Amino acid sequence: MNARRGWFLGALSLSVVVALAIYPAFGTGYGVRSTLQIFMWIALAGSWNLISGLTGYVSFGHVAFFGIGAYAGAILVTSAGWSWPTAALAGGVAAVLLALLIGYPCLRLKGPYFAIAMLGLNEVVRALVSYFEGLTGGGNGLSLPTADVTRSIYYVMGLLAVVIIAGTYLIITSRFGLRLMTIREDEVAAEAMGIDTFHHKLAAFLLSAVGPGVAGALTARDQGYIEPISVFPLAVTVTMIVMVLFGGKGTVWGPVLGAVALFVIQELVWAHYPYVHPLLFGAIIVAVVLLMPRGVLGLLQLKYHLPRTI
Amino acid sequence: MTVVLTPEMVGQVLISGVLSGALYAMVALGLALIYGVMRVINIAHGPMLMLGAYVTFFLYSRTGMNPLLTVPVAMAALFVVGVVLQRTLVFRVVDAPELSSLLLTFGISIALVNLAQNAFTSDLRSVEYITGSWLIGNFALSKPRFIAFVFAAAMTGVAFLFLKATRLGKAIRATSQSREVAMVCGIDVARIHLLTFGLASALAAGGGALLAVIVAIQPEMGGVWTFKSFLVIVLGGAGNYPGALLGGLLLGLVEQLASLFLTTQLSEVVAYVLLVLVLLVRPTGLLGGRQT
Amino acid sequence: MTFKALGSLVLAVAVAMLSMPADAQGPIRIGASLSLTGTYAKLGKNQHEGYQLCIKDLNAKGGLLGRKAELVMYDDQSLPATAVRLYEKLITEDKVDAVMGPYSSPVSEAAANVTEKYKKVMVAPLAATTSIFKKGRKYIFMVITPAEAYLEGLIDMAAKRGLKTVAVINEDTLFSKAAASGAVELAKKKGMQVVYQEAYPKGNTDFSALLTKVRAANPDVIAAGTYFDDAVALTRQMKELNVNPKMYGVTVGGDLPEFYDVLKQNAEFIYGATQWEHTLPYPGNQEFFDAYKKEFNHEPSYHSAAGYAGCTIYAEAVKRAGSLDADRVREQLLKLETKTIFGEYKVDQDGFQTAHKMVTFQWQGEKKITVWPDDLAQAKPRFPTPPWNQR
Repeated sequence: MNARRGWFLGALSLSVVVALAIYPAFGTGYGVRSTLQIFMWIALAGSWNLISGLTGYVSFGHVAFFGIGAYAGAILVTSAGWSWPTAALAGGVAAVLLALLIGYPCLRLKGPYFAIAMLGLNEVVRALVSYFEGLTGGGNGLSLPTADVTRSIYYVMGLLAVVIIAGTYLIITSRFGLRLMTIREDEVAAEAMGIDTFHHKLAAFLLSAVGPGVAGALTARDQGYIEPISVFPLAVTVTMIVMVLFGGKGTVWGPVLGAVALFVIQELVWAHYPYVHPLLFGAIIVAVVLLMPRGVLGLLQLKYHLPRTI
Repeated sequence: MTVVLTPEMVGQVLISGVLSGALYAMVALGLALIYGVMRVINIAHGPMLMLGAYVTFFLYSRTGMNPLLTVPVAMAALFVVGVVLQRTLVFRVVDAPELSSLLLTFGISIALVNLAQNAFTSDLRSVEYITGSWLIGNFALSKPRFIAFVFAAAMTGVAFLFLKATRLGKAIRATSQSREVAMVCGIDVARIHLLTFGLASALAAGGGALLAVIVAIQPEMGGVWTFKSFLVIVLGGAGNYPGALLGGLLLGLVEQLASLFLTTQLSEVVAYVLLVLVLLVRPTGLLGGRQT
Repeated sequence: MTFKALGSLVLAVAVAMLSMPADAQGPIRIGASLSLTGTYAKLGKNQHEGYQLCIKDLNAKGGLLGRKAELVMYDDQSLPATAVRLYEKLITEDKVDAVMGPYSSPVSEAAANVTEKYKKVMVAPLAATTSIFKKGRKYIFMVITPAEAYLEGLIDMAAKRGLKTVAVINEDTLFSKAAASGAVELAKKKGMQVVYQEAYPKGNTDFSALLTKVRAANPDVIAAGTYFDDAVALTRQMKELNVNPKMYGVTVGGDLPEFYDVLKQNAEFIYGATQWEHTLPYPGNQEFFDAYKKEFNHEPSYHSAAGYAGCTIYAEAVKRAGSLDADRVREQLLKLETKTIFGEYKVDQDGFQTAHKMVTFQWQGEKKITVWPDDLAQAKPRFPTPPWNQR
């Protein structure tokens, strides 16, 4: 990469960051909320990319970490009076604990077994949350005390997105990341090479749970009300997957590109086609899977021999 | 307030478990076939069931046809739909990484559900055919569920016979075991794929048609069935056909027993915990299944 | 003047004109998000039609404050999170003049956070949960009777007839839980004993284990907090398992004509609760029913009527305030006491509905016959419900 291109990209990124930082001052409430959502999707997609993009293990229930983070955060804010930033961190911790609990048995499974086990995980966590209604409000949902903190959450969520992407870059350029990708390409060979595949996968899995956990807690605070069906929906998992797929699985900027592009497309489709937007969204998914399974960046990587760290 | 549980109650619930288990088995068999033959994880299985239920509903309400007679019609119709889907979309992700098939079929699934919502509206429908139960001693045998059980068991039996004894069936099983060898033996693998997807869709539609007299029909009814079918085949061993039967019955029984001894809400959790336990001990399901 | 100066002048005037508040005398835009897809699609659509008919009638009578009224509507897919974004959009981007509430309690609860933030009055016609209105919110107003009162008629009639035991089952969602807890509380107050209580997950289709346990508890009354599909499944399995309470009542779903279409004579003797029936003697009720049927080709449900009434109540408050200003309208809504096609309206200082009455009906001979409260009853209830094998 020559120096001029480096400077250009650096200046571009800086101006984007500055623009995003000052946006809340003059954006509409809806605009700020939407951008906040994009940050959330970047964090989610980026996290999913860490486990599934890098190791090839398709986590089909990743939204479970989001949901558990949301509930942990919400409960700490309402029942224990924690401040929402600390509660958000606690949400991340809760998600990691869940990942540890579920990672041990499930990461030994292969292929569809892992995917379905993760899907089941999501349903079970939702059912358990509904069951322990003394703590979680069950089917009633949980309401947080009213607070207008959307602006602050905007910044924190933005920070989260940056951290996840930066983390992805660090991992991809490290030996740890290389080993993960080896596992993706051929797990048996990786074992033969002496890589402790189980612990590597577990580490990636735990890391991939942090983002959704924190994002869940932040979202709960922002929305002010959560209920089991709305924080554990399969559609969220699928959306984050499609975003990563669209942008390019296993790349650094793929999730970002996918998150922005798909969010914008979704909003447009939604606003103009109230009755058929699921149909259109389904068509988009089919198109992405069939026409660009490597994603935009994946294609560009191949065509222009771009570095792995893109 | 807890109620004292008597052996009679347990017996009653075991009956319910077996009845629902047969339906689970029938629907899951379709899914097992698709995975076994094509390595495709088909999320669009639920919508096939839903469409089958609607076929029954419309035939019954427009023409007054006996709901039981609509079952073969629904199965035939969805067989065709399945073949078309396979021919146009799904064949592209056969043997692709499971992520591709998961997503593709998910996209197809939400498109189908939305189409149904627009075409049929989300109004809840049901077919009123036979209600009540036969009394056998102290046990009540639900009429509609028993009839569904008989049909489901028969259909599953026929499917098994087909797989075991007919040439086409053997071809399907051969392709399941090894596509390359099957091709070498002269089996037209592409046609087998079409047939399999159609057959699986027909099985799901049959389940839906039978359900039309039991539950309320609405466009999103299939989702839960997709999920449970997956539970069943992973439990029994993905790609293992008798495994689907065993898994289905086991799921039906576990759900009902858990509902009785615990609460209905926890039965979902119990089913999943069972799944995880089984996978811990046998990572490829109860009956071995196939290594991917 | 130079050409350039003239050009700048024209430009300045054009910009000034364009940046003037558009529609200073244009239509009044009322925004809402409704559940057009997702779990609540059918009922959300009915509410939408109620809103549409109300706007149509308003405009036919000269509009609101002399201006035409217009509905700006989005689909929240029955999801609270989506509704939050949509109300933000309506208020901050589309800059609507007013908002009306969405369908269902969870969605209304989430949306209320947004409307409170921007201090926009929201009449939420289909929010039934008390908790929404008891959080110190100032700009939200209730139209229907709270969820906790849905099973009140059933329990009251049971107690009057000396029944002693009741089983309460419900779907594990916000509304049904509220209905169930209301029933439990009322039963205890009337000296009845709750012999069984269980919540089942939404989407459950096999109630055999649950009903086996209920049957063993042998209750006089079964009070069920349901929606439609579970009400149907429960009824069918009660017949199969021979569960024979003396009274059996459901909540939402029991009032839909489809309930009888689907269950036929198995629906007889079942009690249901409804916020509204077109046969009730409320002002303009029959005209509304006829106009709605003509416009939309199907009968209105209470959701349609609530939507219509909520919108007319809001319009009435605006008329009395003489402006769209939130605080002035709010003042009027707090003071207002009126009777619409939907029934009575009066709220307390939290915006919580205190005057509207629910009615309990029973399916008798293919019709819904109002049996409670006594002053609105059309006939006596057929009591007790005969066992299944004697029908």
